[in-house]
Amino acid sequence: MAFFESEMRDGKHRLGPMQSIEVPMKQFGEDETVDYCIVGVGSAGGVLLQRLARAGFKVVGLEAGPFWNTERDWVSDEEGSHELYWNDLRITGGQDPLALGSNNSGKGVGGGSVHWAAFTPRFHPSDFRVYSDDGVGADWPMRYEDLKPYYELLEREMPVAGPAYFPWGDPHGYTYAPHPSGGVTDVLVRGCTELGIRTVSGGPVAILSSSHGDRPHCIYRGFCLQGCKAGAKASTLITHVPDAIEYGAEIRSLCMASRVVMRNDGRVAGVEYIDRKGKQHIVKARAVIVAGYAIETPRLLMNSACPGHAQGLANSSGTLGRYLMAQAGNVVAGRFEQLVRMYKAPPANALSEEFYETDPKRGFARGFAIQTVAPMPVAFAKHMINAMGAWGWGMRRVMMDYNHWAAFGLLGEILPWADNRVELAEAKDQYGLPVAKVTFNLHDNDKKLIEFAKNKTMEVMQAAGADLVVQEARYAHLVGGARMGDNPATSVVDKFGRTHDIPNLFICDGSILPTQGSANPGLTIQALAARTADYLIREGEGVFYTNGRNLNMEEPHTRHDLSPKYTAMRGNPRIT
Amino acid sequence: MTTKRSFPFDSVRGREIKDLPQPGYYNGFSTLAQKDFWDEATLRVVEERVEQTPPIRFFNEKEAATMQAIVDRLVPQDDRAADRTIPILPVIDERLFKNRLNGFRYEDMPPDQEAYLRGVQAIDEMAMGRYGVSFVDASVHQQELLLKSLRDQKPEPDHHVWQTMPVGRFWSMLLEDCVTAYYAHPWAWDEIGFGGPSYPRGYMRLENGLPEPWEKDEQRYEWNAPADSVSELELPDNKTLAGNGGGQ
Repeated sequence: MAFFESEMRDGKHRLGPMQSIEVPMKQFGEDETVDYCIVGVGSAGGVLLQRLARAGFKVVGLEAGPFWNTERDWVSDEEGSHELYWNDLRITGGQDPLALGSNNSGKGVGGGSVHWAAFTPRFHPSDFRVYSDDGVGADWPMRYEDLKPYYELLEREMPVAGPAYFPWGDPHGYTYAPHPSGGVTDVLVRGCTELGIRTVSGGPVAILSSSHGDRPHCIYRGFCLQGCKAGAKASTLITHVPDAIEYGAEIRSLCMASRVVMRNDGRVAGVEYIDRKGKQHIVKARAVIVAGYAIETPRLLMNSACPGHAQGLANSSGTLGRYLMAQAGNVVAGRFEQLVRMYKAPPANALSEEFYETDPKRGFARGFAIQTVAPMPVAFAKHMINAMGAWGWGMRRVMMDYNHWAAFGLLGEILPWADNRVELAEAKDQYGLPVAKVTFNLHDNDKKLIEFAKNKTMEVMQAAGADLVVQEARYAHLVGGARMGDNPATSVVDKFGRTHDIPNLFICDGSILPTQGSANPGLTIQALAARTADYLIREGEGVFYTNGRNLNMEEPHTRHDLSPKYTAMRGNPRIT
Repeated sequence: MTTKRSFPFDSVRGREIKDLPQPGYYNGFSTLAQKDFWDEATLRVVEERVEQTPPIRFFNEKEAATMQAIVDRLVPQDDRAADRTIPILPVIDERLFKNRLNGFRYEDMPPDQEAYLRGVQAIDEMAMGRYGVSFVDASVHQQELLLKSLRDQKPEPDHHVWQTMPVGRFWSMLLEDCVTAYYAHPWAWDEIGFGGPSYPRGYMRLENGLPEPWEKDEQRYEWNAPADSVSELELPDNKTLAGNGGGQ
């Protein structure tokens, strides 16, 4: 008999061991017109829902997956966590096809932030001007300084634990103390130090190093990618959604959006969806924000094609679905004579961004980061299939040595290319909707970058004293597919996420990123969502009635008074 | 139930390694012995995995027999005692019976169910072509040689199925499914010294590979794969797997 049975059986909707949803969720009527319908309650959708609800708007979030009760639904077990991922069919192809599913796609309230490792580095100032500086990729229609207040705001709201001094990009510090080191962090710091490469450890990660409001601190069990049952790792499910519900937002979970519905005056009328029983409904909304991430967002807009929008909504430029990006995510594994036991402590802990910026001597544009990862046994056995060619008795033998291995992930910037894209496939999903087809090809700069980054990361593992170093090529994260830009002919949305084509249709998620740097995108996605929310709040009713494109494009005033409870403190250490 | 058997060898004691309740270097370590410290939802999932083996519903009898022989070579368990054998085929069969996907399909691959049926049939026909017997009736060594040709992406003999289904992708899917079933099982966690579920207690000794008070230090021993096995690790020259298993 387990000790913790009674806490699970009290019927509450639990989000971690201390937090629960105490108020009944608002339910808007079937015919009621809401202000905003947000499609996808993930990293961006969760923040938008919370901000707009606090500001007094009527908001409904549609989520294809379940509204997790973490004590009931989540487990400390790799295979038992299968349902956290977007497992529905997608077709993947091209010369360098991307693995999808558990690799990069979440399903359920909280979306990908439920199973992210929670590394939260900011993008560097140079990420916002890649085309100007390097003549490749694209510039952002905004500067680092425009996003900085939102980086600081979200670092407090998640909140982020990390070192007092983070030396790369715009140097800064973190409010919450860094985490203790696990075995893999020791290896990374040792190897980098040997080679004179700067590292930080203990973060930046959106994992609590001390208790905070109604959330406890980390217990170092290592199952971050399986959903943090301890409630220490931030996901919008536990950081923003409870506040959104308290302030009157409604989430319709297990509801799959099938189409954004157009009115005949060129504005959207709402979103059609299929509920958990297979019944079709429409949410009538004065504006719609699509936040379905880099694959489902373009797919939904393409599946919404109608007269006047034959190639899909917001696609007059033909760029919808294009410029899809994943980061190179090669896993480098090293075996040590001593035990490491990499399953303890969060996989995301230490990193180096020493190679982040363009170095002309290397012969390619942009760069990469080196980070700790720590695959659990099933994931590690899968790595060994490719990295070691292991099978049969060899697989048994290498896995008996599981506790002797450490693993790093490189995170390499792959540039945005028009031929890397999301389209509709002929195959259909369980709702009868055409599924996404994803095409991915590495280009010359990408290949050179990966080769250099792979060798450098292996060198670090070697320098740490590994007696055997192997690697597997793979990819991490997904962004792009509906990029933002000033020019409506070459981008899908403006710098606040408003589609160039349809004045009351917005996109706000990873798909709007023009480039991706070599930082994990989660923090940037949430910061962009908070900034878009401030913009929408400032514009107020104007969003619902204005058709013109000459809108106020000034940066909004940052609303520090809309943060979820317990997070309204001041002070991100700034390094000057 | 395993098919043919082929035992690894203890060269120090000069005997076959078999009937082990727990292979690996962590003798006496048991994750399930810690179950009082697991949360109820996790306990339920893991106990069900140990106590309830799903029935075979996707593969027919002949296909299931071939698959069992394949699985027994991809993740051999000949060293394990019969009542401590980890079910792999029933887990794969259940995934296919329920058509449980992993979120994507490569554009050059057929749907998972079809891929398995075609792959299993091809392997059986390859055995017939190469050895004149079905895969099940081939010797363990012959079975390994044939499977290794798939791993090396040089099917021997070639089979028309591999013209329309990339052999590397099929190999990865098949082997990933096998290791997923094996290393998701608590007996495999005991074998490799993985601490297993750990909520709400967590871990306290994070550095230097140190064990928790309830974990065990490693006790390494030498073992050899069966003499004619071709599935051993292919290590670079001068590399061996030595270890200091703690015990500080």
